[in-house]
Amino acid sequence: MSAPARFTPLKAYFFALLALLYLPLVVLLVFSLNANTTLSFPLRGFTLDWYKQALQAEAVLRSVRNSLVVAVGSSLAATGLGSMVAVLAARYSFRGKGLLIGLAGLPLVIPYIVLGVALLLLFSALGVQRSLWTVGLAHSVVALPYTSLIVMARLAGFDQRLEEAAMDLGADYLTTLRRIVFPLAAPAMLSAALTAFTVSFDEFALALFLTGNEPTFPVYLFSQLRFASRLPMLIALAVLLMLGTLLLVFIAERLRRAE
Amino acid sequence: MTTAKEAGRPASRRWRRPAVDRPAAFWLLAVPPTAWLAVFFLAPVALAILFSFRPDMRGSLFAAWTPSLNQYASLFATASYWRLLGVSAGMALITAACATVLAYPVAYFLTFNAGRRASLYLLLLLVPFWTSYMLRVMAWKFLLGSEGVINSFLSYAGLVDKPLALLIYSRPAVVITLIYVWIPFVTLPILAALQRVDPALFEAAADLGASPARVFTRITLPLSLPGVLAAFFMVFIPTVGEYVTPLLVGGTRGIMYGNIVQDFFTKAANWPFGSAMALVMLAATLALVALALRLVDVRRWLE
Amino acid sequence: MKHRRCQTIALPIIAVLLLIGCAPAAVPPGEQTGTLTVLEWAGYEAPDFWTDFQTTYPHVTVNFPIGASDADVYAKMAAGDQADIFHAYTGWLEFYVEEGLVEEIDTSKLSNWDKVPDSFKRVGQVNGKQYFIPWDWGFTSILYRTDKIPEGVTSWSALLNPAYAGHISMWDDGPGAVTVSSYIHQWDETAITADQLATIKDEWIVQRDLNLFYWAGEPELIAAMAGGDVWLAYAWQGAYATLLGQGVPVAYADPVEGRNSWVGVYGIRKGTPNLDLALKFLDAKLGAATGNNVVNLFYYGHTNQDVMSGITDPALIEAFSVDDPAILEKSNFTPNLTVEQRDAWTAMWAEIKAAP
Repeated sequence: MSAPARFTPLKAYFFALLALLYLPLVVLLVFSLNANTTLSFPLRGFTLDWYKQALQAEAVLRSVRNSLVVAVGSSLAATGLGSMVAVLAARYSFRGKGLLIGLAGLPLVIPYIVLGVALLLLFSALGVQRSLWTVGLAHSVVALPYTSLIVMARLAGFDQRLEEAAMDLGADYLTTLRRIVFPLAAPAMLSAALTAFTVSFDEFALALFLTGNEPTFPVYLFSQLRFASRLPMLIALAVLLMLGTLLLVFIAERLRRAE
Repeated sequence: MTTAKEAGRPASRRWRRPAVDRPAAFWLLAVPPTAWLAVFFLAPVALAILFSFRPDMRGSLFAAWTPSLNQYASLFATASYWRLLGVSAGMALITAACATVLAYPVAYFLTFNAGRRASLYLLLLLVPFWTSYMLRVMAWKFLLGSEGVINSFLSYAGLVDKPLALLIYSRPAVVITLIYVWIPFVTLPILAALQRVDPALFEAAADLGASPARVFTRITLPLSLPGVLAAFFMVFIPTVGEYVTPLLVGGTRGIMYGNIVQDFFTKAANWPFGSAMALVMLAATLALVALALRLVDVRRWLE
Repeated sequence: MKHRRCQTIALPIIAVLLLIGCAPAAVPPGEQTGTLTVLEWAGYEAPDFWTDFQTTYPHVTVNFPIGASDADVYAKMAAGDQADIFHAYTGWLEFYVEEGLVEEIDTSKLSNWDKVPDSFKRVGQVNGKQYFIPWDWGFTSILYRTDKIPEGVTSWSALLNPAYAGHISMWDDGPGAVTVSSYIHQWDETAITADQLATIKDEWIVQRDLNLFYWAGEPELIAAMAGGDVWLAYAWQGAYATLLGQGVPVAYADPVEGRNSWVGVYGIRKGTPNLDLALKFLDAKLGAATGNNVVNLFYYGHTNQDVMSGITDPALIEAFSVDDPAILEKSNFTPNLTVEQRDAWTAMWAEIKAAP
C-alpha cells in the first residue's frame, strides 16, 4: 500500500468537509467575543463578559457534568448490549434471530417524542421518579440500534475458523469470545461507543421529557434560550465546550504519538 | 495439519458454527439485551399503542378507558397527513442516499489514506457534534440569511441579483442541513466495514494488473457493502420522523410528518392522536424497510 | 377521695401541658426546612426568579422539573406528576379546574396580594374562585421594522397582508391564530362557530405562503428581524425590548382592534402535602426583588404593581406602555379555552401546516 500522499483529491475532500463542519463554530466563536446580543452584523466590539458569565454559572457546569455522566453510562450500556446482539447475529443461528435483530433495530423507528412520552407513562405508572437515570436508560435504548449495526457490520463475514480453531483446542465459547472475538470487534466497539456517546451528549427531545431535577446540558441550554438576553452567554459556553473537547482530542493524539 | 483429535471428528462438524443445541454462552448473550429492550422499549411502546385507542385526554390518565377507534378514524380522514408522510419518506430517502454517498470517501480516506492520523481525524470529525445542535444551526442561519455572509458575497460578486431563497426556510434547506448533519455519523459504519478489507488484497489485485478503479468496484465496494447498507438505514429510518431540523430551517414549506406528531404532544396535549400518528409512521417505515431488505437480501451477509 | 380528686385535677393539667409541648411552635423562616417541587418552564428555575423566597427561607430546597409548553405542563399534571406547584398560562386554566388538579387558594395568606391589580386577580379566577396566582405577563402585538415598513402598522390584518409576502413571521400556535382572526373579523373569541373556524383555516392556509417561518422561541424571531429577513411579526414585548436595546429600528404596534395580553399563573396541585410552604413560595414570588429581576433581566411584566411603576429603563417603559395607565383596560386578555376548542383549534393548525 502506498504511503499517504501529501495532497490527493480525497484528502482535499476530507478537509473541505471538515472546514464546512467547523464553519458555524467559527461564527459562534466570533459572536462569543462580541458585545452583540443577537446574531447579526454589525459587530459591536470585543468583550470577554460572556465568558466570565458562563464560567460563573454553577448551574451550567453542573449540567455539563450531568450530560457527561449520562453519555458515558448510556454508551457503555448500549455498546455492551449492542455487541451481544452483534455476536448473536453473526455467530449463531436460531429461531427468532431475525426477530431479535429487528427488535434491536426498532428503537430507530420510534420518534423520540413518542418514546419519551411512553417512557414517562411507564415510569409514572411504576412510580419511578424522573432523573438522570431515566434519561440514561432512554439513551441506551435509542443508541442500541447504532451500536448493534456497527459491531455487526464488522463481525459479519469475519472468518469464523479462528473461533472454531480455538474451541477445537479446548477453549469454551466464553473464553473464545474474550480472547478472539472481542479483540476482533474492539475497533468497531470503540466506534459504536463513540456513536452512542455522540447520540446521548447532545440529545434533547428525550431528555426534556425524562429529566428530573438535574438537567442535562442541552436541556439547560434550551431553558436559557427562552430568554434572548441569555444567548451570548450560551454561545460562549458552547465555544468553551468545543475548545475543551478539541484540546482533549489533541492531547490524546500527542499521547498516542508518544507511544 | 490435522491432529489426532480433529481426525477423529466427523468432517461435517469441522467448519460449522456452534450447533443449535445451545451452549451456555448463548443465554448469557441473549438475555440481557432482550430483557432490557422488553422493559425499556417494548413495554413503553405497548403503552403508547394502548394510548392510541384512548378516545380523549379526559379523566385520570391511568384509569381504565373504553377503547375507541376515533383517533385512527380522524387520522385516516385527513389526506394531507398521508401526503406529508409520503413527502417526509421521500426527503428521508434523498437524505440517506446523499449522506451515504458523500460519507463514503471520508470513510475511505480515514481507512486507507489517513495513516496514523486516522483516529485524530475521526475525532475531529465528531467534535462539532458535542456542541449544541441548536446553536450550530443558528450560526448556519446567520450565514445563509438573505443579508447573511453567503448571500452578501454572492451579490457582491455579481453572481445573483437577489438573495437566494432556497438556502433557508425551504424544503431543500432541510434536506441539505440533514445531509450535512448526518455525514460524520454515517462515516462510522462504513468505516467499520472498510477496516475489514485487507490491504494486501489491493496489492494482489494490482499485481494481477487491475486498475485502481477496478480494485474499487470489484473488491472494496462489495466488501464494504454491509457498512454502506447499515449507513443508509441508519439515516433513512429516523429521518422519516425528523422534526428538529424542519423546525429550525424548514420555514412553512419544509414541515415534515414528525413536526405534526410533535405538535400533538407538545401543543395540543392530545397524546392519543399523537400516538396514533406515530404508530402509523412506525408501521409505514417498517413496511418500507421490509421491502428494501427483500430487495437487497441482507441475510446473505449476516450468515 | 383525695386520690381521685388529685387525678381529676392532674389529668387536665397534664393534658394542657402536653398540648403546649406538642403544639408546633412557629418555626422562624430562617430555619424552616422542607422540599418543594415546582413544575416550571425552562429558564424560570434561575435563582433570579425566586430570589425573595431564597432570602427568606434559605434552608428550603426547591426542585424545578421542566415542562416544555402549556400542553406539556397540563399533560404531565394530568398524568399524575407530584409537583407541588405548576406554572400555567392564560387559555389553559379551565382544564386544571375541570379535572380537579388544582387547590383553591386562600389569598388572605399572601401578604403581597394587595399589590396585584384587580384585572390580574380576575385572570386567576375560574368560576369565581381564586385557583391561580398571576405572576408574569406581557403583551402580544405586531412588531415591525420601521425602515422596511415606513407606513406603519395599524391593524392585525397586516399579518395576512400580501404586500409583505415572504417577510412575515407568525407564532407557531393555533389558538393564537384563531385569536388574531377573531380580532380582525370582530368575532367573539369564546364562541367561534364551525363555519367561522373553516374561514379562519382557509385564510391562514393562504397566509402560510406569505409567511417566512413560524417562530417557536423569541431568539429565532429576534435574529431574523435583526438580520432583515422578517419585517413584521406576531410578537411579545420581550422581543421588542431586546431589539430596541440593540438599536434595530423597530416599533410595537397599537392595533385598532387592541393588543392581546397574556398572563402566567401558578397553581397548587390538589392534595399536595406542602400546602403552607407552597403558599409561602407563591407569596415570595410576588415580592419586589423577584419582580424587578423578571422585568429588568428578562423583559417580562410582573403582576406586582409597585414593580411596574418603578421601571426606569426607557426601552421597557415603551415596551410595557407604563405611561399609559389605561393600557390594561384596552388589552384583550386571552380567555380560557374549553376542551373542544383546544382540540379543534390545535387540530386546525396542524392541518394548516400539513396542507399541500
